[in-house]
Amino acid sequence: MLDFIYRTGWGAFAVMLLFQIPFLLVFLTLVFRKAYVNTGPSEISDARIGGLRRGWMALVIALFLIVNLVSIQFFPAIYTARAAASGVPAIDVAVDAQSWSYDMSRQEFEVGQPVRFNARSLDTMHGFAVYHPDGQVLFTMMLVPGVGVSSLIYTFTEPGTYKIRCLEYCGLAHHEMNDEITVTEAST
Amino acid sequence: MSFASSMVASVPVFGRMFKLEGEPELEPINAWPAAMIMASFMWFSVAVLLGISLPLTQMLGFDTSLFYTAVTAHGAAMAFPYVFQLMMGVGLHRAAGCLGKPITGIIPALAFWCMNIGGILFTIAILMGLKISYAVMYPLPIVGVQTGQWSMTAVVIGFTGIAGILLTVILLYPVQVIKMLFFDRAQDDLILSPRTLNDPGMLGMAMAAFVLLIMGAPLLIVASAVLLALYGILPMAWVAWATDPMVFQFVFYIFAHNLMEAMAIMIISALYATLPLYLADGTRKLYSDRMANLALWILLVTSVTSFFHHFFTMFPALPSALSYHGNIMSWGTGIGAAVTIFTIAMTIFKHGLRPSAGIMAALMGFTLYILDGVSAIVTSNVAWSFQLHGTMWQAGHTMAVLVAMSLMWMGVLIHHYPVITGRTLSADSGKWFVTLFTVGAVGVNYSFLAAGAAGMPRRFAAWDQEGWMIYGYFILIFGLFMAVGMLIFLLDISRARIIDTGPVAAPAE
Repeated sequence: MLDFIYRTGWGAFAVMLLFQIPFLLVFLTLVFRKAYVNTGPSEISDARIGGLRRGWMALVIALFLIVNLVSIQFFPAIYTARAAASGVPAIDVAVDAQSWSYDMSRQEFEVGQPVRFNARSLDTMHGFAVYHPDGQVLFTMMLVPGVGVSSLIYTFTEPGTYKIRCLEYCGLAHHEMNDEITVTEAST
Repeated sequence: MSFASSMVASVPVFGRMFKLEGEPELEPINAWPAAMIMASFMWFSVAVLLGISLPLTQMLGFDTSLFYTAVTAHGAAMAFPYVFQLMMGVGLHRAAGCLGKPITGIIPALAFWCMNIGGILFTIAILMGLKISYAVMYPLPIVGVQTGQWSMTAVVIGFTGIAGILLTVILLYPVQVIKMLFFDRAQDDLILSPRTLNDPGMLGMAMAAFVLLIMGAPLLIVASAVLLALYGILPMAWVAWATDPMVFQFVFYIFAHNLMEAMAIMIISALYATLPLYLADGTRKLYSDRMANLALWILLVTSVTSFFHHFFTMFPALPSALSYHGNIMSWGTGIGAAVTIFTIAMTIFKHGLRPSAGIMAALMGFTLYILDGVSAIVTSNVAWSFQLHGTMWQAGHTMAVLVAMSLMWMGVLIHHYPVITGRTLSADSGKWFVTLFTVGAVGVNYSFLAAGAAGMPRRFAAWDQEGWMIYGYFILIFGLFMAVGMLIFLLDISRARIIDTGPVAAPAE
């Protein structure tokens, strides 16, 4: 469940709706139900609003803390560090991005094998996004020339053909900058 | 009649919408704002047509170069010549009416011309083949020349245009606001509704001006150095420090991120000022000025360093500590937004609302602004950023924040329109405009976000992959809602009736 929430775009979409729908319901109801001319003094006391204010701020801070604290384990820096410390040797892959293609030192991997992608750009800004065969973005890296290498360790869990796309606009053939990697079942 | 008001009156079609027919003695606070607002809607009309053309170029299978031209020109028109200029016009009018200070002299004139000539030059460069955005994506402009995608002439013209725009945004507009706030002499006959910096409706104006000036200064220095080198005035070797991609990206995003936050602070501040005028019998106040000011301060403090979220996916080039800081600060802006939501909601809850088109446009814009804020903080979490960065999610965020602010400013404009022009608008047309524009804007926003969640890249001229075209259909349908809403608004202001019952009612500000 947490994997779906924090490692897929649709998980992010679901969390976004979790925040947005209550806001929409409450705020729009309030605006439209309170749309009248009231010339009399307000009958709503500040004490009542004070209680609501404390409750609202406590809820917001609690939700923000929970969502962000749980997310830490899914930060690439964290799972890269865990993979590096696991004792299973990672395969190093050098990726050079240049308008409008990738040069990868290796493009075939096995399920369960940690792969350290070390990617850099040789000319302008590029992206290196790996897509699951079902179309989901697994991760993306922004490659700024001259900055050095962007790097993370990823362990593929399913066999298939994974698409690579550039997600940073890089000129007139940006949409044609793609490649593929193949992941096979683990050999015993 | 001043030069600005003569110019507005002489412009075909759009001039009729904004020519000054109100009290002549208010011309010093109305003329340049009217010119800026008129020009902003001219840009917006072009931007809407270009926006509609984007999904069409994909559906009809046109040349991909056409898509990149349209997307670049659409973004170029929307961000500054439309939204910022609209904000500048309405914002300066608000400030002038609250302070009793005229908007005359060289600075507002320069702000107007630098913005619009800059926009025209950038558009010419785009038509010459330059396809970069305001984000510049340095060093793409130079790489594009080296790879034969566009010419160096186009780069020089485009950068000159961007420089003119930045001069207005970073220097001229903030200086004009600061000059009015702290230096110019007040004229009693120009004061429409006195306000001080203790008032949340005025505090935001000052905050935004200082943020633009201070956070934009590094970009102005770097961009000026690059431009002088492009002109051949300085040797390229002398400005190597400015052309380093990392330097350019950081100074750009320190400015660009804070620009959006400054614009948000300014419109929230305008909403704080306008909402009480539409409560109950018009004499009520915000639920709490202290809460309102607190929200502005939280937004200011947290937003200044939250720009690191633009660089999360450069790991490990961006140290993790800065990533975590950017994550926390981005969600901190959400705390400021939560305080704002509470203040606005409780103000309405306590006093009731008189729902005219202006305040409803501002409140629907605020609703979209909060919806967008949620999508923004979600993508500002480090974990989600690695799935969403560079996708349509972020294009949706950019689009939504601009549209939300423009809807709020249009709401504030509807409130000020009778004072600026001496004419009144139709309530029925206003309702249709607000309804259609809101439905369209929310629909387009969710279409973009869903496309991003599905992995569709932004600024990407091949929507026919992975079944992404479905999002294009939704974007087109809801985009047409927005376009029709906008058309109704423009028709309404072109048919506005002159207020003939004595002097124009004193505006609340």
